[in-house]
Amino acid sequence: MTTAYDAIVIGAGHNGLVAAAYLAKGGLKTLVLERREFVGGAAVSEEIFPGFKVDTAAHKIGAFHPAVMSELGLMAHGLELVESDPSVFSPLPDGRALMLWRDAQRTADSIRQFSSADADNWIPFTQLIAKATGVLESAYRSTPPDFVDGTLKDLWTMARLGGKLRRLGRRDMPEVMRILPMTARELLDEWFETDVVKGTLGAAAITGLFQGPMAAGTAYTFLHHHVGAGNGAMRPTVRARGGMGNLTEALAAAAAQLGVEIRTDAAVGNVIIENGCATGVVLAGGDEIQAKTVVSNADPRRTFSQLVHPPHLTPEFTRKIRNVKLKGVCAKVHLALSELPRFSGASDNGDHLRGTISISPSLMYLERAFDDAKYGSFSEKPYLEAVIPSVTDAGVAPPGKHLMSVLVQYAPYHLKDGQWDAARCDALGDTVVHTLAEYAPNIESAVLERHVLSPLDLEETFGLTEGNIYHAELTMDQVFLMRPVPECARYRTPIEGLYLCGAGTHPGGGVNGASGYNAAREIVRDSKRRR
Amino acid sequence: MTMATRYDAIVIGGGHNGLVNAAYLARAGKRVLVLERRHLVGGSVVTEEINPGFKYSVLSYVVSLLRPEIIRELDLPRHGLEVLPLESTMTPLPGGDYLARWADHDQTRRELYRHSPKDAEAYDDYGKLMYHLAFAVKPIVAMVPPDPTSLSFKDLKSLLKLSRHFRSLGNEQFHALFKLMTMSAADFLDEWFETEPLKATMSASGIIGTFLGPRSPGTAYVLLHHYMGELDGAFRSWGFAKGGTGAISESIAGAARRFGAEIRTDTSVAQVMVKNGRAVGVVLDNGDEIHAKVVVSGLDPKRTFLELVESKHLPDDFVKAIRRFKIRGSSGKVNLSLSELPDFTSLPGKGAHHRGAISISPSVEYLERAYDDAKYGNYSRRPYMDMIIPSMIDPGMAPPGKHVMSIFVQYAPSDLEGGWNETKREAFGDTVIETLAQYAPNLPGAIIHRQALTPWDMERDFGLTQGNIFHGELSLHQLFSLRPVVSYADFRTPVKAFYQCGSGTHPGGGISGWSGRLAALKVLKDW
Repeated sequence: MTTAYDAIVIGAGHNGLVAAAYLAKGGLKTLVLERREFVGGAAVSEEIFPGFKVDTAAHKIGAFHPAVMSELGLMAHGLELVESDPSVFSPLPDGRALMLWRDAQRTADSIRQFSSADADNWIPFTQLIAKATGVLESAYRSTPPDFVDGTLKDLWTMARLGGKLRRLGRRDMPEVMRILPMTARELLDEWFETDVVKGTLGAAAITGLFQGPMAAGTAYTFLHHHVGAGNGAMRPTVRARGGMGNLTEALAAAAAQLGVEIRTDAAVGNVIIENGCATGVVLAGGDEIQAKTVVSNADPRRTFSQLVHPPHLTPEFTRKIRNVKLKGVCAKVHLALSELPRFSGASDNGDHLRGTISISPSLMYLERAFDDAKYGSFSEKPYLEAVIPSVTDAGVAPPGKHLMSVLVQYAPYHLKDGQWDAARCDALGDTVVHTLAEYAPNIESAVLERHVLSPLDLEETFGLTEGNIYHAELTMDQVFLMRPVPECARYRTPIEGLYLCGAGTHPGGGVNGASGYNAAREIVRDSKRRR
Repeated sequence: MTMATRYDAIVIGGGHNGLVNAAYLARAGKRVLVLERRHLVGGSVVTEEINPGFKYSVLSYVVSLLRPEIIRELDLPRHGLEVLPLESTMTPLPGGDYLARWADHDQTRRELYRHSPKDAEAYDDYGKLMYHLAFAVKPIVAMVPPDPTSLSFKDLKSLLKLSRHFRSLGNEQFHALFKLMTMSAADFLDEWFETEPLKATMSASGIIGTFLGPRSPGTAYVLLHHYMGELDGAFRSWGFAKGGTGAISESIAGAARRFGAEIRTDTSVAQVMVKNGRAVGVVLDNGDEIHAKVVVSGLDPKRTFLELVESKHLPDDFVKAIRRFKIRGSSGKVNLSLSELPDFTSLPGKGAHHRGAISISPSVEYLERAYDDAKYGNYSRRPYMDMIIPSMIDPGMAPPGKHVMSIFVQYAPSDLEGGWNETKREAFGDTVIETLAQYAPNLPGAIIHRQALTPWDMERDFGLTQGNIFHGELSLHQLFSLRPVVSYADFRTPVKAFYQCGSGTHPGGGISGWSGRLAALKVLKDW
């Protein structure tokens, strides 16, 4: 086939689809190529158990840019968002539990059973976090500036973000600056004394990181996961009715309506590069497709180690790409259940099962879970983030049955003694069920089916290198103008006409479409300049 | 009783920064009085004959960062400062092998090649990068941190200057510096090297004095310190002061006295006198009052603002910020008198390695496990250690044929589960010796005298809050404009005419004298 396109997007993950839709909006004839038989990347629903619609990878939607939602008309394309209230239920072995509600006052009341000082601190804490995330939100909507060789535009971005920070005032501005590089533990210790409050907030700081809550920069990741969350809402739990796949299907439908062509079962072999410029792609089957612009939604390591042949890159750049830290630490365990888990001490109305169930009794629990991973084995007592979508969305499981998806941390991609295999996946599955059973004993007998995805499975199934759910670790040295490497921080790459649009670019991490949206803006700008 | 004498400035604490501060103030013609609680000057930089005939550099034991400007401007060699080079670092390994880096570049290269040809190649490139980055950082270390919240012309100009400086570095160096400031030492070194003991021994310098492990982000930037000493070629990056570290303090005190400063030991300050928001002098423990136009504290921020100054003179937010300032101690020190040299299984007999640093850091995992113990409130069962044998460099440190050994030990957490006491301190000392005996089996039999110091002892005897050797942790949120508290990183305090000059201020940490010097320049500018 020789039909020429203006742009080819490699990979129909949610960022790839957002980018494609906006490229089409910007007047580019766009083609999306997806390796699997359906779109969605890591935001998909698959029937791995008959009759169940399982969100195999991501099970929550992050803070999608409201403008993207409305400009693409996602609701009209069948997307319905369900925000759970409470957002988090965090049980303790002694039967007590912490609930985080959308309403900050209600959360404070839940905390009061543990500590009235913590309850009193809750609202001021959420206000500080809202101020800090407000500044980050502006940064997340911007293309990271080129600090060293910047043009006027870059200087303007810097001035704008600096101004935003300053507008916080003399009291809050230094406070926000101070907390960014802190450890989650230091931040939370300054505000709270209750272990489960700190553990449950701290869990948001370490999700997807090969680090514990005592690592510098985890206060930043805590903020990252709250950018765009409503005022005072901590760890919001939002999903798409019918499953995560409905989000990406709505995106695909919106893109198609804008004229984007989407081909599934179309794995890309490599990017064609002539005289240092990307001119199209070769499919795994050997077909060539021409385009002026190629956009990769794959992670940076995959893009530059598999899609681009090394001779086109300088050794320094290749070295930097090799040094991008991926370090996958998450596994997924899916359970088909004959009945709902019964948590000792929880109310009978089932409210607590609507949102995220977080097994995070203390920061030290999380840190010990990390210790295991640090030395190359999965956590004996892992941090678990579980959702039971069938509680609020009956359509995802057969009548009377329930579906539970569990994000397990820490399960390191690199194991000290060998590789992930069926036996190790089974052992991890057992650990997860046993851990849950400490809080909800009936779960062991309620499991009808179990499906474990190790980091290696995440890599093989979803193309996530080393099973890293964020395409590159969200550590301080890999965010903003350093993400994933400085040469690609503005979505452009050393290969002219080749762009990145995945979570490995700023701001990355979480199902929020921001990387795809920002990338499309830069690509359209470049294409207009060329015209 | 009120003493009639009136001084221009009183410096509280005769630690090295306090002495440097006093010397600069006196050099500018001010009438300066230094008040030191102990019987000798030096603070944590002292030499004491705990065991007669054997001189211990009780706490700090090596010089790496003492600024050449200070040595020159105060003419310290004239007052007895002589720095002898520490030429090598040897890491004995459990299997009987070792890794050494020698003074001779080619010899180091051959040694590294033996472990990994790739690392031998990378070592020079790494050294070059670090050398350039040290240059890039130097002007930042040398400046008074601006207040990012201020809109004053001076602060904005300083911020602009800072951003211009960073931009002038060019892309490669700017990004490398960014990574260095934010990464863990282990991750940073993983990008360069593969030999475990090399990565471990190098990353160990990133964890000294911190409550962090080599895999904790924020530990990489201390790697730079090793290269900063080499900049001016004044002397090698690591050195040992003839006569022990106390000789450094003595020489600075000598310079201060020559410029006219008065130094009183055995004089403990109870409080800073404040009238109408202005410091006017100090009250001693015995009730004596001494008046001065300016008071400078060389003590750590907690001690300075929570003990010396009544809280009614300070804004609530400031006191709150000082309370939450992180100052956990993590290290211990063991000083030994020895009848013979330790004989290392991996390098038997007497050798050049005895004249350098010896590091117990066989792997990154070893260090990380040592940290894990501390994280949960225990001292490390198998601690990281950095040792020197001063008597091999300066024979005057011990009687003929005998030796002294300085062992820096990490981790010994200040908040030990159940608290420290004498029994636990000695058990900690035993752990150190048992660990060393695995590498030098003759050591336990050679010990004539042992002094073990834990954070508990450092707090009690040296006035270091929680035994933190840097007067406050060197984490990113406690550096530069945020050290110790935002808007007061310029050595001033909320009390007029009251200044801070200790390690708890920018740049902090190590025997650099930089805080003392910058603070003095600030005091003089405000005069």
